[in-house]
Amino acid sequence: MTHTLHRSGGKKSLEGDYVFLAMASREYNLNGAAQKLKEIAKIFAKYNPVNMGDMSSGQPVTMARGASPEKIINEISDRSIVHAVYTDKETVKKVLKELKEADIGMSVVVSGIFDEVFCACKEVSISGPFSVDLSLGIMGKTQLLPKEEILDITTMCGHGLVSRHLVAHLVEKIKKGEITVDEAAKELAKQCVCGVFNPARATKLLREILNKEK
Amino acid sequence: MLIDKKKCVSCGACLHYCPVGAIKFEKGVYYINQDICVECGVCIRSNACKVGAIYQPELRWPRVLRSVFSDPLLVHPQTDVPGRGTEEVKTNDVTHRFKRGEFGIIIEVGRPGVGTYLEDVEKIAKALAVHNVEFEPKNPVTYLLDIKTGEFKDPAVKKERVLSAIIEFKIKEEDFPKIAETLKEVSKKIDTVISVGIATVCKDGEIPLATVKEAGLTPRINGKINLGLGLAWSYK
Repeated sequence: MTHTLHRSGGKKSLEGDYVFLAMASREYNLNGAAQKLKEIAKIFAKYNPVNMGDMSSGQPVTMARGASPEKIINEISDRSIVHAVYTDKETVKKVLKELKEADIGMSVVVSGIFDEVFCACKEVSISGPFSVDLSLGIMGKTQLLPKEEILDITTMCGHGLVSRHLVAHLVEKIKKGEITVDEAAKELAKQCVCGVFNPARATKLLREILNKEK
Repeated sequence: MLIDKKKCVSCGACLHYCPVGAIKFEKGVYYINQDICVECGVCIRSNACKVGAIYQPELRWPRVLRSVFSDPLLVHPQTDVPGRGTEEVKTNDVTHRFKRGEFGIIIEVGRPGVGTYLEDVEKIAKALAVHNVEFEPKNPVTYLLDIKTGEFKDPAVKKERVLSAIIEFKIKEEDFPKIAETLKEVSKKIDTVISVGIATVCKDGEIPLATVKEAGLTPRINGKINLGLGLAWSYK
């Protein structure tokens, strides 16, 4: 699944959006992976991610849905796909450094601005070989898409579970004073089942929508 | 998904949670349009309904494909991975699925958030099959296809609607411009959108972009990077 690819937005906004993922290959290194994934998840948790999660049990276990990092770590199995979201490059660098030093031997993927992530890797002497997923954008009947400002929020759930209609509805509720911007961002993040939605970035994007409409 | 009319109190709390707008309100009654619904489960999981009126009926073939492709909590029997795709680049440091000089092409039909009937997936697969592409064998869409023609083995699946479905295949890097041309053409004939991705391996730390540029396409500034930290698996 390319669920952390195709996150839309401008450079400034994407500079606050980094997603880590760790998993074992089903064919090659699945047996006994749980312990290694737990070690990685502990490193993720140490650096205070804004969201974290694992949905491999068939249940959405994410920080945004109220699970603590400890609960997420405890429930990790060989088949887990562990995610963590950060909002700045300096923290990303610290996580990368610790992962490199721990030398756990499990696949780790970072989604973010290529230049920024490569630069962070270089600074902590991670030299690959790197495999990448590039996003070439959207083709087809693009008139069916919502406005870009909405898309920047909804594409943070690559499984498409965050509804454009919910974003618009919550913006209206904020305007009426029925909920705060933070509460709206949390409600949006709850719909993502694997913990890759970035509620901190959603808060900023919702504020931008509200400021534009003033 | 269905709404139990006896339980529903017509509060409308569920209305905005549906990613594809399948929840409708007519003549004072809320209902779920069964043609539009992709069985993703968001309406139930949101807990928006406080009286438990939304429920999942038993899904039979071919409708069950809607939930298999739309609800990421379900694990595909063909891929052994939750979600709609495969491990693709995520474990490439261990599997070497993609090697230098190869492009894995990942076409997600219906993404972002539009949804698609599987007949549009078939239109794209047929156009690509002409190039004798190597469809990813462990992908759930490939499982449904005749890989020679790109047609669905069971035509009944074509009317099913999903949140998105991923066509995956591997090509040589130099073949990308003709694939890009085919995608540009076929994307004019579909009633949805496609998000297009390429999985590949960096050369000397650089992303190989020459043929992407040759095809007149510009990648986003952001994407996914497999750090290569799984390489040690074989000797640990």
